[in-house]
Amino acid sequence: MGASSSPKLSGMQKQVLSLYRGFLRAARSKSAEDRHKIESIVSGEFRRNSKQVDRKNFLYIEYLLRRGQKQLDQLKSPDTVGLSSLNVSVSETIDPKP
Amino acid sequence: MAMAMARSALVKKYLRVNVGVGVGVDSSPFNAIRRRFFSEEVRTSFKSEVTDRVISVVKNFQKVDPSKVTPNANFQNDLGLDSLDSVEIVMALEEEFGFEIPDKEADKINSINLAVEFIASHPQAK
Repeated sequence: MGASSSPKLSGMQKQVLSLYRGFLRAARSKSAEDRHKIESIVSGEFRRNSKQVDRKNFLYIEYLLRRGQKQLDQLKSPDTVGLSSLNVSVSETIDPKP
Repeated sequence: MAMAMARSALVKKYLRVNVGVGVGVDSSPFNAIRRRFFSEEVRTSFKSEVTDRVISVVKNFQKVDPSKVTPNANFQNDLGLDSLDSVEIVMALEEEFGFEIPDKEADKINSINLAVEFIASHPQAK
């Protein structure tokens, strides 16, 4: 995350931010309580990965993007109220295989 | 046919009366000037209202030190926010002004000035 006044975002960074936006938008359609829970899980997950994942590890970031997109598609379904499955995968990815 | 002509004459007469009144008001130079100033005034006051609302949204953002928020503040340099925070702020602005900001525009908004400029020029902003 560059510190220049107008950081040029790479295509991949834009994809990540767009996915993040997608999650926050999807959370809006849930009840206030669920929304709050979803937002804190999602923002925690993105922040953790932004610190832990090497920014040059494109393959792994692409994998995370694809996985995130699938989870977002599930979240968009009106029947889905939470992201408890994400919690499970969080523990799985703490030690990602290279 | 005669009926249609009569009707169209009637419509024309009706229209002419309306247009006549309109022109009568507009043709006065005083009114033209007053109207121009008025519309500029409306736009300026909307922009300053937008500025105030954008500033209060940013001030309410939990990671921001409210005393650092100025109309010229840059999200990353002045407020110490990262790109994920910027996404959250732009999303909060969407809710404040009741319209969706497309990704392409949202990625560009990295300061209060840019946010105000974009929102104030957006026809759907409330």
